Amino acid sequence: MYKLIPIFLLLIFSTGRVAAREELPEQGSKYYTAQEYEKAAQAWEQVLASGRESAELYYNLGNAYFKMGDHVRAILNYERARRLAPQNDDIAFNLSIANQSVVDNLEELPRPFFSRWFTALAHHASADGWARMSSASFLLFLLLLGSYFFGRSNLVRKTAFFTAMAAILFSLVSFSLARHNHTILQNRSGAIIQCPRVTIKSSPSETGTDLFLIHEGLKVEITDSLDSWKEIRLSDGNKGWLRDSCLVVI
Amino acid sequence: MLKKFFILAGLILLGFHGGAEETRLVMSAPNAVAVGDQFRLTFNINKRGENLTLPDLGNFDVLMGPSFSSSTSIQIINGKSSQSQDFAYTYILRAREAGSFTIRPGSIEVDGKVFQSNALTIQVVSGQAQGGSQGSAQGGQAQQGSQAQSGEAQGATGNISKSDLFIRLELSRRQAWKGQQIIATVKLYANPNLPLSGFEEVNLPTYEGFYTQDIEIPQQINFKREVYNDKIYQVGVLKKTVLFPQQTGNLTIKPFSITTLVQQRVRQRSFFDDFFTGVQTVRAKLTSDAVSVSVKDLPPAPADFSGGVGEFKISPELDQTEVTTNDAVTFKLNISGTGNLRLIQSPKLTLTGDFEQYDPNVSDNVRASEAGVSGTKTIEYLFQPRFEGTYKIPPLTLVWFNPNSGQYERQSTPEYELKVTRGTGDAGTGVVRSVRKQDVQTIGQDIRFISQNQEKLHSRGVSYFGSLLFWAVYLLGAAAFAVFFVVYRKKMAENANLALVRNKKASRVALRHLKVAAGHLRQNQGEAFYDALLKAFWGYLSDKLGIPLANLRRETATEALETRQVDPALIGEFLSITDQCEYARFAPASGAQAMQELYDQAVVVITKLEKQIKR
Repeated sequence: MYKLIPIFLLLIFSTGRVAAREELPEQGSKYYTAQEYEKAAQAWEQVLASGRESAELYYNLGNAYFKMGDHVRAILNYERARRLAPQNDDIAFNLSIANQSVVDNLEELPRPFFSRWFTALAHHASADGWARMSSASFLLFLLLLGSYFFGRSNLVRKTAFFTAMAAILFSLVSFSLARHNHTILQNRSGAIIQCPRVTIKSSPSETGTDLFLIHEGLKVEITDSLDSWKEIRLSDGNKGWLRDSCLVVI
Repeated sequence: MLKKFFILAGLILLGFHGGAEETRLVMSAPNAVAVGDQFRLTFNINKRGENLTLPDLGNFDVLMGPSFSSSTSIQIINGKSSQSQDFAYTYILRAREAGSFTIRPGSIEVDGKVFQSNALTIQVVSGQAQGGSQGSAQGGQAQQGSQAQSGEAQGATGNISKSDLFIRLELSRRQAWKGQQIIATVKLYANPNLPLSGFEEVNLPTYEGFYTQDIEIPQQINFKREVYNDKIYQVGVLKKTVLFPQQTGNLTIKPFSITTLVQQRVRQRSFFDDFFTGVQTVRAKLTSDAVSVSVKDLPPAPADFSGGVGEFKISPELDQTEVTTNDAVTFKLNISGTGNLRLIQSPKLTLTGDFEQYDPNVSDNVRASEAGVSGTKTIEYLFQPRFEGTYKIPPLTLVWFNPNSGQYERQSTPEYELKVTRGTGDAGTGVVRSVRKQDVQTIGQDIRFISQNQEKLHSRGVSYFGSLLFWAVYLLGAAAFAVFFVVYRKKMAENANLALVRNKKASRVALRHLKVAAGHLRQNQGEAFYDALLKAFWGYLSDKLGIPLANLRRETATEALETRQVDPALIGEFLSITDQCEYARFAPASGAQAMQELYDQAVVVITKLEKQIKR
């Protein structure tokens, strides 16, 4: 019976990954080091075009675009990288530098403390990272439960019981964090403005009242869409409509 | 004695001689006259001379002269008297034709020596209708009617024609480089016949777009004769300023104004007027024209350009080259020359961190004169070496723009070597030196380098969370646990049952073994009897206590019985029977009587054990 557990763990950590045999990512790194940023970006874009991705790849691509002076695409790729790996502080740092070139300065809406804490906690690992932790701690819980039921001495059984409770609690928390990160990953509601300047309308038509003006590189949230129009919300809570040609979904 | 006297007398004579003024012949005359005007040519000398020789005065007529006059002044200051004499020879001349003429030096003989005077240049202007320098009231009245009429017109309206009285801003150059100095002079031009009596409301120009520095001129305005537009004027300099253009393009100096007070003769209107109101003071507001300067921007500057425009020279000075640690060292840099000295930025002295460096002390000594702004600027760099060793003081370079050549020029100081030896009273005396902590300075900001981890790529949209495997882990894990739980539980129950059965069967098995032993006893087979008796005992205990036969020994059996709280006396009996059996097995000498007793005893012990272990 105990022999099954390592087999389970092995299964968990080895699936969901496709081995990359191609040399393209490595080649991109070589180009980047040689300061040939355009070639580096091309190489990495090719990898992405083949339908595979990783946080690292987006991060490196963002760096290449940043060095080329294309801050909008740099921000876009950093944001994509951060979705996959919210815990990586290099990505967060470079994103903050790239965001310095964004003209618009928005004051974020205040959020309740538990929401902020939850997000901050969720950012400590990726969706899959939390999911693995949840699975592993669930298995640990079962193991401890077994030793509680069939333990010989009282001390062993007591310890096993409390540890098991902690394990199941941790499993539940990390499950909800994984689900939170996964929802963000699946929703794709974030977008980056790619037009140098765009006027936000009050309704999805050209005749709508001009509400405000925003500039390229700004991160917005898509809340609704109608034909080729999208309703967006800024981090300061303002809402309005614009044509989707000015948006790139993260 | 005599020798000393002579030396003393010689010294006194020398003293006298040194104190005496040098003899000079000075020729003077107005520098501008009109044709037909009379003017004075004067020779001044401080000693009586003879044989004054006039130079050739080709273009001037000598009307009168020489007339001779002399004056003597005696000054007594603090009991010391000094005497000066002045002898003047005056000629009255008249110019014959217009043009600029040079009067060559004249000469005079004083005590047998010939002294030459200076040369003079006189500008003669034609068409100046009014009288000369001495144009008296009489002369004015003697003029033709037209002139008198214009004078009347002036008097009546209070206006003075612009050609008679005006102000003007004179610039030393109209085209300049940015930062090149320009000398601006505010001049008042007045017809010599116009009696000026004073100024009011002097609004001097504001030089917008320029950095300015005033040139000191005497408070008292000195009027000089000057020819402007073929006319003679009395010219007074009101203000002199050095301008440094700070902007490029066409800079315009806005018009400025001065109100002058002019005394004018008023035409008599009645008999009584003549006595009291012959002269009237008129205010005349003069406004200058706007003047523009075209300023060119400097050509692309080298990176270390100091901002200086002009001509400069630098000289470095290091006060010492061998010092001990924590001694203060001063490195002086003198910048001298003409130009915008004050605007020059101090070159930066970059020393390694082994020096405590202080802000440089900058002082300047700048004078503004007719030639422009010149002087020196001294920059003192002060630093203290902290550690011993040989250091190099890097060369300092000053780059400035020379407007005359239109190019940047540079000069560097040599590289100095500074030898530092350990001074007394620092490090090593056991005193903890406090080192000033500095914040790490952020020099630049850049993104972090790409990641080199070679993280495995995965297909887009594939994630472990929510995958089949993810749910399988939970479900299969739970299911496996449930199965494990049930199976293990059952087995345990079975194990427990087995023990119970054995427990129950124990006394029966023991009885069977006892029966066998009883059979052996009847047939008097000693060895087999003891064997069967032991088997009965051990087998009973093994089943009863749940201990395998292999593990059952005297000690383990005693322990197990003790934990089940069996009477120690009973345990002792049990042990003594087993001991007797073991003993009798190897020495079967005892009779049937003893065997029978042992058998009875064994039956009693087993019965007692059966009662006590039941719990």
